[in-house]
Amino acid sequence: MTGGGWHRRLLAAHTALVYLFLYAPIAILVVFSFNSARQTAFWEGFTLDWYRRLLDNALLFRSVRNSLIVAGITTAVAVLLGTPAALALARLQFRGKRSTQALLYLPVIIPEVVLGAALVTFFGAVEMRLSLWTVVIAHVVFSVSYVAIVVRARLAGLDPALAEAARDLGAGPFETFRRVTLPLAAPGIAASALLVFTLSIDDYVVTSFVAGVGATTLPLHIYSMLKVGVTPEVNAVSTLLLAGTVVLIVLAHRLLSAETGDSK
Amino acid sequence: MKRFLLIAFAAAALVSCGGAKEEAAPASAAQAAPGQVNVYIWTSYLPPEVIAGFEKKTGIKVNVDTYDSNEAVLEKLQSGVADYDIVVPSDYMMKVLIPEGLVQPLDHARLPHFKNLDPRFLDQQYDPKNGHSFPYLWGTTGIGYDKGKVKEPVDSWRALFDERYAGRILMLDDPREAFGAALKIMGRSLNEKDPAVLRQAAEMLKKQKRLVRTYNSSDFANLLAAGDVDVAQGWNGEMAEAVSNAPGRLAYVVPKEGGTLWIDNVAIPKGARNLDAAYAFLDYILEPEVAAKIVNGVHYAGANRAALPLVDEKIRQNPSIYPPKEVLDRCELIEDLGETTKLIDDLWTEVKAQ
Repeated sequence: MTGGGWHRRLLAAHTALVYLFLYAPIAILVVFSFNSARQTAFWEGFTLDWYRRLLDNALLFRSVRNSLIVAGITTAVAVLLGTPAALALARLQFRGKRSTQALLYLPVIIPEVVLGAALVTFFGAVEMRLSLWTVVIAHVVFSVSYVAIVVRARLAGLDPALAEAARDLGAGPFETFRRVTLPLAAPGIAASALLVFTLSIDDYVVTSFVAGVGATTLPLHIYSMLKVGVTPEVNAVSTLLLAGTVVLIVLAHRLLSAETGDSK
Repeated sequence: MKRFLLIAFAAAALVSCGGAKEEAAPASAAQAAPGQVNVYIWTSYLPPEVIAGFEKKTGIKVNVDTYDSNEAVLEKLQSGVADYDIVVPSDYMMKVLIPEGLVQPLDHARLPHFKNLDPRFLDQQYDPKNGHSFPYLWGTTGIGYDKGKVKEPVDSWRALFDERYAGRILMLDDPREAFGAALKIMGRSLNEKDPAVLRQAAEMLKKQKRLVRTYNSSDFANLLAAGDVDVAQGWNGEMAEAVSNAPGRLAYVVPKEGGTLWIDNVAIPKGARNLDAAYAFLDYILEPEVAAKIVNGVHYAGANRAALPLVDEKIRQNPSIYPPKEVLDRCELIEDLGETTKLIDDLWTEVKAQ
């Protein structure tokens, strides 16, 4: 028994270290958003100045707004496109299924630089002016694949007999989808939406290629500050985004556990 | 189901294209009016009050997007579908943009305030007779140091090769700047092409490597401010910032042998759609009062001579921003070396790999 305690303590220490490793940088980011020094090397004193200055920083504010618009639309469109694709791949047999699947993985696998360069060449060829919309389109391109892959993994774990049973009990294809398949797939869809939202909001490489007039997103803005030095304003805006994301995730988690009935 | 999928994809594609067109339409409609001007510029290069002043004076809306590297400008202009009317590339990038036809000739007749510019920064080798651009802001490469830890005042590039500071030296992770420091000590030009001289410079850098704590181009001012290094090669913008945060402790100097001079320039991309607005904006920022407001707001040296008396005393007298004339005269622009670039890259790899 005493040996077990020893093991457990080691395991606990290990876990604590892993969490420290994961969260220490974030904690420092949050702490330094309240630092009165302009450069991030020292702690000088507590201040809310950087949050106040955020309100005056129109460019930074606009970049946050742009990022939220892009991530929001991208998530919605990617889920609407990716979920049917996942359903088709999980449930149907059709010619070209293997190649469709392989093609779906492609945007996930190819380097972002290549994707960005390809997209900007494409927009040039079809004479589509670069704007916030070209950023949305570019993000949808890689996001659809993530949604399809995640949702498909969820569907693969489900018993196909459930849908068959619904049919046997007289439900039409649409009703089966709405009342059986969709609720079962919902956690996968929600997970993919969160994943895609996160990928979109912090994407730098692809965005830097395809952003046009008025389309500077938060990551582009932060990178562009490097020449003159990143100020704690960036820490402040990151902290706010972090807080927003945590609230969203907690809400999503609550919603999901309420729906599926498992309490964690 | 298969058909449904196809239709769904097609519909979504249409929707997204439609969205893009809708967005583009009001923009092109607005071009007939005084409309707008789209500026693509380094961060913190255009104070908000300058934008507000121009919008109030002309009714033209200024859209500002920011970038982090000259290469971003090149990529945007090469795409052919970016709607920027004004870009602000550095000297060496102008030398790429002009031959590629990515920026258009500058019509000096439309810039009555062009005469305010300091001839010192005009007619440079990257853009002869300022046919395509005019200088906006400029700066230097020099040495930042900790006055408490470095006993005597630094005035030479030799400080970066000084045994006494072993393990406390930072060099920019940039071959041209590193070779520049060595070449200047040797009394040579930054743009030296003689392979024998360059090999000698490489030997100096190899010997120096033992003394160098780190090669870093992105965070040098922070490392100096944090006390990780005591003598650091660096660009004046971040250095001036660090010095003004710790004026008693840190200092920045352009060595007496001369350093690198860089100049960022204003140019109009080929095919700019709001040409009238672009010229109106360019002439506006050449007005002395406006140019002074820019320098006071961004803390970089401006190329506008008529504006100088209107610049804050504190900035004008700050040697990290405006170095004394005799030092500036010894500074040089980094020029494209053609074939020799490969040799320098190879030698730099040898230094770093040692």
